[in-house]
Amino acid sequence: MSTNMTSLPVTLLAVPAAKNGRLSAFLRQPTFVAGLLILGVVMTLACVADLLYPGDPQDLVGPPLLWPFQKTEFQLGTDSLGRDIAAGLVHGARVSLIIGFSAASIGLLIGTLVGAVGGYFGGLADNVLVRVTELFQTVPAFLLVVVIVAIGEPSLKVIALAIGIASWPTIARLVRAQFRSLREQDFVMAARSLGYSDTRIIFVEILPNALPPVVVTASVMVAGAILTETGLSFLNMGDPNVVSWGSMIGDGREMLRTAWFLTALPGTATALTVLALNLIGDGLNEIFNPRMRER
Amino acid sequence: MTIERIGQRQNGCGPARGSLPESRRTTRWIKSVLASTVLCAGAWLTPAHAETATMVLATEPPTLVSLTNVATTALAVSGKVTEGLLEYNEDLSPEPLLATSWNISPDGKEYSFKLREGVRWHDGKPFTAADAAFSINLLKKVHPRGRSTFANVTSVEVPDPQTLVIKLSQPAPYLIKAFASTETPIVPKHLYEGTDAASNPNGNTPIGTGPFKFKEWQRGNYIVYERNPDYWGKPDPKIDRLVVKFIPDAAARSIAFESGSVDFGYRTPVALSDLDRLKSLPNLKFETKGASYSYNVTRLEFNLDNQYFRDKRVREAVAHAIDRKVIVNTIHYGYATITYSPIAPGLKEFHDPTPSPYAYDLKAAAKLLDEAGLKPTDGKTRFRLTLDFNPITTEGRRLAEYIRASLARIGIAVDLRAQDISAFVKRIYTDRDFDFAVNGASNLFDPTVGVQRLYWSKSFVKGVPFSNATHYSNPEVDRLLEQAAVENDPKTRVGLFKKFQDIVAEDIPDLNLVSPTFLTLHNAKIHDLATTADGAEGNLAHLYVK
Amino acid sequence: MRLLSRAGKSLSRTAIQALPVVLGIVVLNFLLLQLVPGDAADVIAGESGSATAETMAALRKQFGLDQPVLIQLANYLDHLAHLSLGFSPRYNTPVGDLIMSRLPFTLLLMLSAFVLSLVVGIAFGAFMAAFARRWPDRALSLFVLILYSAPGFWVGLMIIVLFSVKLGWLPSGGAMTVGADLTGLARMGDLLTHLVLPSISLACFFTAVYARLTRSAMLEVERQDFVRAAEAKGLGPFAIQMRHVLRNALIPVTTVAGLHLGNLLGGAIVVETVFGWPGMGRLALDAVMARDFNVLLGVLLLSSFVVIVANVLIDLLHAWLDPRIESV
Repeated sequence: MSTNMTSLPVTLLAVPAAKNGRLSAFLRQPTFVAGLLILGVVMTLACVADLLYPGDPQDLVGPPLLWPFQKTEFQLGTDSLGRDIAAGLVHGARVSLIIGFSAASIGLLIGTLVGAVGGYFGGLADNVLVRVTELFQTVPAFLLVVVIVAIGEPSLKVIALAIGIASWPTIARLVRAQFRSLREQDFVMAARSLGYSDTRIIFVEILPNALPPVVVTASVMVAGAILTETGLSFLNMGDPNVVSWGSMIGDGREMLRTAWFLTALPGTATALTVLALNLIGDGLNEIFNPRMRER
Repeated sequence: MTIERIGQRQNGCGPARGSLPESRRTTRWIKSVLASTVLCAGAWLTPAHAETATMVLATEPPTLVSLTNVATTALAVSGKVTEGLLEYNEDLSPEPLLATSWNISPDGKEYSFKLREGVRWHDGKPFTAADAAFSINLLKKVHPRGRSTFANVTSVEVPDPQTLVIKLSQPAPYLIKAFASTETPIVPKHLYEGTDAASNPNGNTPIGTGPFKFKEWQRGNYIVYERNPDYWGKPDPKIDRLVVKFIPDAAARSIAFESGSVDFGYRTPVALSDLDRLKSLPNLKFETKGASYSYNVTRLEFNLDNQYFRDKRVREAVAHAIDRKVIVNTIHYGYATITYSPIAPGLKEFHDPTPSPYAYDLKAAAKLLDEAGLKPTDGKTRFRLTLDFNPITTEGRRLAEYIRASLARIGIAVDLRAQDISAFVKRIYTDRDFDFAVNGASNLFDPTVGVQRLYWSKSFVKGVPFSNATHYSNPEVDRLLEQAAVENDPKTRVGLFKKFQDIVAEDIPDLNLVSPTFLTLHNAKIHDLATTADGAEGNLAHLYVK
Repeated sequence: MRLLSRAGKSLSRTAIQALPVVLGIVVLNFLLLQLVPGDAADVIAGESGSATAETMAALRKQFGLDQPVLIQLANYLDHLAHLSLGFSPRYNTPVGDLIMSRLPFTLLLMLSAFVLSLVVGIAFGAFMAAFARRWPDRALSLFVLILYSAPGFWVGLMIIVLFSVKLGWLPSGGAMTVGADLTGLARMGDLLTHLVLPSISLACFFTAVYARLTRSAMLEVERQDFVRAAEAKGLGPFAIQMRHVLRNALIPVTTVAGLHLGNLLGGAIVVETVFGWPGMGRLALDAVMARDFNVLLGVLLLSSFVVIVANVLIDLLHAWLDPRIESV
C-alpha cells in the first residue's frame, strides 16, 4: 500500500543515461510497450468517461446488486445502491489517475527542491534538510496521510496533497545524491566560471542531467499514490463526492462473499493500472541504464 | 479422563454442570473418543471451556463501567459486572434486580426502593442502600445524561441499609425506566468515595454485584469475565465464562460467526448486506427482541439558520423528494421501519404513525422550489448545498449518497462531506458550520429523555452534542415538552406528545426517516440471551449454552 | 572486536543524529495534531450520543484540553524527560502500558512479515538473476510485479476467503483463541496459526520489492572486477553466486529494508484492520480517530526508535557482509 513510496530499485541507479538510440530502445522493450498500452487504454477511458457514461456515476440508476451481464443496460452490474459499475470503473479511472499523477507531482516538486538545494549547496543547509527528510521518512507514511486528511477533509485535493507530502523523501534522497555527484563535474564548473547564478545552474544545468532516475521513480510513485488512495478509501477516508476504485472496493468489500465482483472488478482495474505503471518504470529503468543493456 | 476432557472440548457443549444419565454419558464418551481421534490434530484450536459464551464488539470499550462514558461498547459490557436497581421487560415494565420492590408516591415526587438483602460486592464487602444513594448522587454529577435524568432529584435518603428513598422537586414520569444496569449503574461507594470518577481504576478492573466477575482485559484484543460463584441470583449465571472479543471489520465479524469463534453480538453486528446469506446458515439465529431500551431514529437535520432552509418551502421540497421506502429497502436492506415522527415506532404508546403531510412527490417538490424563487440557473441546478453525515454507522454514508441522488432530481446539487465523529460533532454542534446533516439519535427509554433535547429551544446549546442542532424554536412545542416532562398522568402525557408530533411534522425542522431494526445475532447453541429490554446489554445471568 | 567497536561508534553516532529527529517528530506532530478538528471530548460525547455542557467541560478538564497548547506541549515534553509517555485519559491508562500491550503483537507481525519478505524476496531475486532474461526469470518477474501491484489488503481479503472460509485451515482474524487457556507449545502454535495470513498479506508487497532489488543488484555486482577475478580463479558458478554476488547484492537490499521498517508499521494499519490484529498500527489509527494524541505520539516515538535501532543493526550487518565498508 502506502509503503511503495519508499521502495524502488531506482535508488541504485544513479547512472547517467544513454544518449542515443533511445526511441528505438524504448520500443524494443515488449514489457514497456505493454505497460504503455495498458496505461494508454486506461487514460483514454478516463478522458472519454463523460462520453461513454454521461451523467453522474454516483446516481442510483438501476436495481441494486445486479450481476454482470444480467441486464444489457448494466454490462458490469450494479452495486448495493444501484449504481452502474461500468460507469463507476470508467469515471474511477479518472479519479485514480488524477490522484496518482497529482500526488506524484507534489512529491516530485518538494523532493526535487529539497534534494537539489541540499545536494548543490551542501553544508548547513544540506545538514538541516537531511534531518528534515529523515524526520518525514521515520514517520510511517500512511499514518501521516491519515492525519493530514483528518486535518483537512477527504477531498481529492487534500488526499493528493497528503500523499505527496508523505512521499517526497524518496525523491529528495535520490536528487540529493545526483546533485552531489554532478556538482563537481566539468560542465558545472564551466557554468560557474561563466558566472551563471545558482538558480540557473541548479535548474538549467544540473537538473536535466539528474532527471532520468527521477523519472523512473516518478512512475512508481504514481503507482504508489494510487495504491495509497485505495487503502485510504478502504478505511472509509476517501472523497465521498467522486467514485474511485478504492471507494468501490471499500463499498463492495462487505459483500465480498455474496457479490465478489464488486471488489474484484475495481481491484483488478487498480492492479492492472499499477502494473502498467510499474512496467513503464521498469522499461525506463533499463533504458536509462546502459550497463544493464549490455547483457 | 484425559480423553473425556478432550471430548468435551470437541463437543463444545459439555454437560451442564451436574450429572447426566449414565447412558448418555457413555455415548458421549464414545463420541468423544471418535471425535478426538479424527480431530485431535486441531484439538488445541478449540476453546477448552465448554461453557464459554463469546460476545463480539466492533471496537474496544473505552471503559468497563458506563458511569462517565456511555459509548455503546461500554454499555455492552458494563451490566455484566455492575448492576442497576431494576431490569425491564420487552415493553419496558420494570422488574426487580438489586431492588426487590419499589413504590412511587401518588404525586410522583417520591420513589422508594427496597433493596435485596445479602448481596455482596465482588471484593466481599456488603452492598447496602448507601452504595445506591452514593451512585445516584455521583451519576447526577458525572453521567453524560445524569444531569438531565436526575434533574428533579432534590435528595437521596437512606432510612435503613435496605431502603433507598429518592425525593424529587417535580414528578419525573420517565424516571422509573432509568434504573437499568447500563443507564444507572450502582457502583461501590467504598471504591469511588473521594476519587475522580472518570479516572477511577474501577473503570478498568470493575468490582460489582453482578453475575460475572472481571478477570482480564487484553487491550485491543479481548475481555474475559468469569462466573461469580457467590452471585445473589444463584444458581445463575449458567455459564462459566464470558468472553468479549473486538473485531473491527464487519466482514471479519461475519466470518467469526460462521466459524463459531464468536457466539453472539447485538445491534446488528454484521453488515446488513450479509444478513440474507447468514440467515440461511443453520447454526445462526436472529433475534429482534432485546432492543427496546434504545430505539434509534435516523434523521435529516436542516440547519434552520441556513439561507435556503430558513424557507419552509425548501424543507417541504426536500421532504417531497425523499422516498422512505427506498431508504428502508435499499439503504437498510429492509431492516428498518419507516417513521415520520421523531418518536420511534418502537415506543408504541407515544409514537404517532400518521404519515408526513409532505409525501414523496417530485413534481410538488419542484413546484415549491419554483415558488420559493429558486429557479434553475443553468437549466438544471437551482442551488448547491453540502451534506454532512454522522460517520458512526455505514448506513449514514449510504443514506447521504441516496439523498444526494434524490435531490439532484429536483435540481438541488449536493456535495457530501466526510469526516470522523469528532470533526462531525464539532462542526454541527460547536461551529454550526453546516447546511444539513444525516444524523441519528436514540429515543432511549422515553421521549422526554431522548427526543426533547432535539426540539426544545432551551436545548440549543453550542458545544453540546446531540442537542437541538436545527436551532428549532417554537414556544408551543417548548410548552408541550416541558409539560410532558413533569406530567404524572400517563394518558395526558401521551396526549401532549401526540400534539408535539403533529406540530413538528408540520414545521419540519428536520425529516425523520426510519428507525433501524437492531438484530441480535447468535449461535443456535446460545439460549435466553434477550430476556430483557436491553437484551445483550443486560447482565446475561440467564444465558445458557446447549 | 572490530564489530563491537563499530557497534559502539554506530550507536553513538546514530543517537546524536537521531535525537533532534525524534524531538522534531514529537514537536511537529504535536502541533500538527492541534489542527485536527474536534477533540477527545467531542469523540466521547459523539460515541455516547448524549452530553451536557457540564460533562463536556468536565471531560476537557480531565483531558487537560482546557490549557493553552504550549503548556500542553511543555507538559508532554516534561513527561518525556522523565521517561514517561504520558497518560491516555480515554482509556484511563498510562500510554506506556497501552503500547506495551500491543508491542509484542506488532513486533511479531512486523518481524515475521519482514523476515518472510526478505527470505522469499532474496530467494526469488537470486533465482531471477540466475536465469536473467530467460523464461523462468520473465515468468517470476511478472508474478513478482503482480504482487507489487495488487493492494495488500485485497490480497488479505482473498486469502481469508480461500484459507479460512473455503478451506477452513486457518483462523480469519484475531491473534489467539480467546479463553483457550493454552500454555507452552500449544499457545505458540495457536499464535502462529493466527499469524500466518496477516504476515503473508503484509509481506507480499515487500517480497516483490526485495526480489526486484536483489535481481538488479546481483546483475550489477556480477559485472564487477572481483567477480571476474573469482571466475578467473576457477571458482564454480554457484559458489560465486552465493559467496560473492549475493553477499554483495545484499547490501543495497538491506539498506532499503531498513528504510521500510518504519513503513511496515504504517502499512500494517490496513492489514491489521482486515485481520483484527491487535497491533500498533490499529492503535495509532484509533488514536487519531479518538483524538487521543498522547497515544499517537507514543506510537510515533516508538516506531522511530525501532527504525533507528534497525538501522544500527543493518549498519553492523553491512560491516559483516562487506568488510571494506567503513563507518562513515
